[in-house]
Order: sequence, then structure tokens, then C-alpha cells
Amino acid sequence: MTTPPQHPQRRGLRKSAGRGASTAPETPAELRREHRRRNLFAYLTLSPTLAVVGLLMAYPLYVAIDLSLRGGQISDLLNLEQNPLTLDNYGDILTDPGLVNDIVRSMVYTLGVVLPAFALGLGLALLLNRAFPGRRIIRPLVLLPWAVPGVVVAAAFSWMLDASYGVVNYLLRTVGIIDENVAWLVDSNTAMFAVILPTIWKYYPFFILVLLAQLQSVPNELYEAARVDGASPLRQFTHVTWPAIRTASSLAIVITGIGVFREFDFIFPLTGGGPNDATQTLAIRIYNEAFQFFEMGTAAALGIVTMAICGALLKAAGRSVRREFG
Amino acid sequence: MSTTLSRHRRWSLLALAIAVTAVLMFPIYWMIMTSIVPSERLLVSEPPLLPPADAASLDAYASVLRDVPVLEWMWNSTVTTLGAAIISTVVSTLGGYSLSRFRSKGQQAMGFTLLFSRMLPGTLLIIPIFVLFANLGMVNNLWSVTLVNTAATVPFTTWLMKGFVDAVPREIEQAAMIDGCGRAGALWRVVVPLLKPGIAATFTYASILTWGDFLFARTLMGNPDGWTVTVGIASFIGEFSVDWSGLMAVGLISMVPMIILFLLLEPFLTKGMASGAVKG
Repeated sequence: MTTPPQHPQRRGLRKSAGRGASTAPETPAELRREHRRRNLFAYLTLSPTLAVVGLLMAYPLYVAIDLSLRGGQISDLLNLEQNPLTLDNYGDILTDPGLVNDIVRSMVYTLGVVLPAFALGLGLALLLNRAFPGRRIIRPLVLLPWAVPGVVVAAAFSWMLDASYGVVNYLLRTVGIIDENVAWLVDSNTAMFAVILPTIWKYYPFFILVLLAQLQSVPNELYEAARVDGASPLRQFTHVTWPAIRTASSLAIVITGIGVFREFDFIFPLTGGGPNDATQTLAIRIYNEAFQFFEMGTAAALGIVTMAICGALLKAAGRSVRREFG
Repeated sequence: MSTTLSRHRRWSLLALAIAVTAVLMFPIYWMIMTSIVPSERLLVSEPPLLPPADAASLDAYASVLRDVPVLEWMWNSTVTTLGAAIISTVVSTLGGYSLSRFRSKGQQAMGFTLLFSRMLPGTLLIIPIFVLFANLGMVNNLWSVTLVNTAATVPFTTWLMKGFVDAVPREIEQAAMIDGCGRAGALWRVVVPLLKPGIAATFTYASILTWGDFLFARTLMGNPDGWTVTVGIASFIGEFSVDWSGLMAVGLISMVPMIILFLLLEPFLTKGMASGAVKG
């Protein structure tokens, strides 16, 4: 996280770096040459990133946009000129009432994951920021789910949520919350909840990582001063802790939100989008349109719409978040 | 804060931490439990919550290693993960350095592009990528999975590295350049050694992401010989009668390399997040 005070300093340093460097050139010609060499190096170091992003992101994106604008039966994806340019794909999906449902499901899934994961991450970060015996053992343990592949998480939860022999049903029956086993992943009323749960488990450690780093940068004196002034723990949180982690929190929420909005690894192996489309988010629909029904044009148009929604969310998230990337 | 906390308070924090950790670790506990208890003891309406001493065994591991090509999957995952993590680390060290030290138009445009690429749904990108690799004859080739995962991690890892480079004072390289190092020499001999924590964090992040990749590997490796461990595991789920003990055993085996890496490099990750890496 770039903290604001760094900026003026950085500007000053940039100036001196431009002038200074190797043997302090004096004539204008030498200055120009030095400047050119600097620029060359700047782009040389950036070029591998440019190549990777260009070849494997920009070019596919271009093909996807092209694909979304083509009509007819697409037979050869590398010779799209054969297919007429049209807006039919967009017309079809935008008039399809199913799209709204897909968007709503994507939103429910995203919020259903991000908000609890953030709350859990924040709570654990606050806890781990205190000194207590065994903290060094607890910290890697609670961060561990982050290192577990999403598909393995999905496998573990599909077993735990199993309709007949799942331990979740057993525990809930024992406690008396349910009377009969619930077919979590098969019942369209509970399937969304059942795919949200493993996703939360995978994502909460990221919030701990981010928030703990921020919390550790809050000087202890601030808390001591607040206590001397008689501030309750709640007021200490709202007046000292929260201002220190607010920016990092919103940034982490937005970044994670975008990630979850496109998430594939949990829903696809667990339900494939079913039952009765109950867990069909945009990401799952795109994949099924493309690789199950081979409706490449529709899939691409859906992908572009998904991207536009992410962009709109990002814009709504505010300037402060975007500035971090500038 | 530790000095002002009473002993009592500290132990109650520990109790709370243990309770929360126990709940959060339950899925892993249940995986271990399932993998060492034979199916007939588990497929009952009231399964034992602790492994019964008389029935616990490692049979599930033995039979999975015998019947399922787990080791081949692990090998395929290792190759793609190492490849993607190494390429991604090199690319993002250079890119992060460029973004941190030079702020011209190109760098600013790149910063925006990296953010933008986060918005691309993987399921959208994989369509043209699949076609591209199919035409290059690279489908069912592990290089395709390696390259796509590199591309998927670079936007994040470049920002991660930029945060670490930002923390290295410019004066150090300037001093090196005055002493006669070229820019590349200063980067390699002076900056890179100071970036070790950043390199560790980047490597861990890229490894965990690639090891866990399912979408790209599933789409690009249709041939079971080339399956990575995640594709193999997903092929278990949704089968008519799932061998749960075996599935949990494979899942646990697949977690081991990343957990070791994670435990070794976890301290660097926390630092990385502190120095500026939520972005991307």
C-alpha cells in the first residue's frame, strides 16, 4: 500500500535520479544520451511483462471481442472474417431474462463470500495483532486455507455436505438444528449457500494477510493515548483502528470481490451451475455456453458483459481505490 | 500492548484463538480423519468424530497410489508450477522495477492494463487461448498451461514486486552507478539481493496460484496423461459412488508441497502485504 506521504519524496527522488546517476554528465549532448539510455532501460525491463500480458491477455481479449460480434455458425475461430459482423449475440443475451438471474446470482455469490470472509479476516487479524502465547503457531494455521487448491477445498466440502453421510448433517442433527438430513448441494434452495461456504473458507486468509500488515503499522502510543482519554474498546476501534485499515480494507474487498465474481473452481466441480441453474453465475454460464453448447459467440458476448460489470463495480468503488494503481 | 495485558487476559485470548482455529481447521481435520478410516465405518448416519483406534489405517493412501496415477498428476503439477513460478518471478521482478523506478507514460499505461486484466474472466480468456494453442498444436502440452498461468499471475506479482522495489532506497543504486556499475549491473548486484523477501513472496504466490489452477489445466489438457493434480481430483467429485477416503487422501497428498512452501515463506508474505501488494 503506498502511503500518501511517500509521493512528494518520490517526485524529488525521480528528479535527482534523472540528473545524477553514473558520471554526472555535464554537456547537453551527454544529458540527452543519458536520458535516452534511461528510457531504453525503463522499457527493456518492462518488455517481458508487456509480452506476457500482450500475448496472453490483450490478444485473446481482442479475439473474444471479435468473436462476440460475429454471427452464424462459427467453424474456424482463426478466420472469423468468414462470419458476418453483427450485434445479435448481444441482442440475444441482453433480451434473455435469464441474464438478470445470472447477474443476481453472481452478486449474491460475491457478496455472500466477500462480506463474511472480510468479517472473519478482520476478526482474526485483530486477534492475531494481540500478544498471547501460541500466536506463532495459530497464525500459519488460520492462514493455511489460502494454500489449499480450490478444487481440494471443493472436494472436502462436497464430502462434508454430503446428503446421506455428510458430517455437517450429522453435527446439525446432533445439536438439534435440523431434524432430517439436508441435501445441501442437490436442493436448489441450499445449493448457493453450499458453494459459498467453501469459497469463504478459501478467501478469508487473504484478508488476514492484508489487515494484519496494516494493523502492525499502527503505533501503540495511539491506543495508549486513547485509553488515557478513557476510550472504550469500541471507540478505540472506530477512532484508531478503523481509520488505519480503511483504505486497505476497501482495496482488499474490491480486489477479492472481482476475483470471486469470476470464480470458477468451486461452483463448477461442486454443482456445475445446477441444480436448476441455482448456482449458475456468469463465469459458469460462459464456460457452459462455450465448452458444453459450443456457442462461442454467446459465450464471448457474456464474457464482455461480465467484464463491463466488473469495470462498473470498480468505478463505483471510488477514486481512492483506483488511485492506488495509477 | 503485551505489557499492559494481564495474564488472565492473555490466556483468554489464547482460548478464543484455539476455539476459532479448531472450527476453521475442521475441514482439514475431517479430510485426515476420512482418509484414515475405512469407508464402511464412515458411510453410516452417525460417523465417529475421532478416528477409532482399531480401524485407523493408511490403506486409502496405498490403494490410491496403486490405482490412480496420483504421482503422475503431481509431477505434471510440479512441472507447470515450477515453470510458471520461475518465469513469473523473473518477469515481475523486471516489471516491478520498471514500474517503481520510471514513471513515464508507458509505465502508467501498464499499471492500468495490469488492473484491467484483473477484470477479465478466466472463463472468457480461455476460449481464444484454447483456439490459439489448438492451432499451434500446443493443446495437451504442459507448456500451454505453464504460459497461461504465468500470464494469470504476472499482473498481481508485478504489483507485489513494485511494492518491494519501492521500499529499496534509490540512493543505493545511485551509489553503485557512481561506482561504475551500469543500470543493469546495479539492478542485478545491488537491488535484486535486497529483494529476496519480495522474490520469495512472489514465488510463493505464483506457485500457490498455479498449483491450484483448475480452469486452464482442465481446458487445455484433455488427455488424462497430462492431467494436473487438480484436474485429477475434480474427476473424482460427482462420480456416481465417490471413494471418499481415496479422494481425501489424494487431496491431502496434493496439499503437502504448497503447505511446505507456505510455511517456509509465510513470514515474507506478511511483509509483502505490508509493503504494498493488495493491488493487482
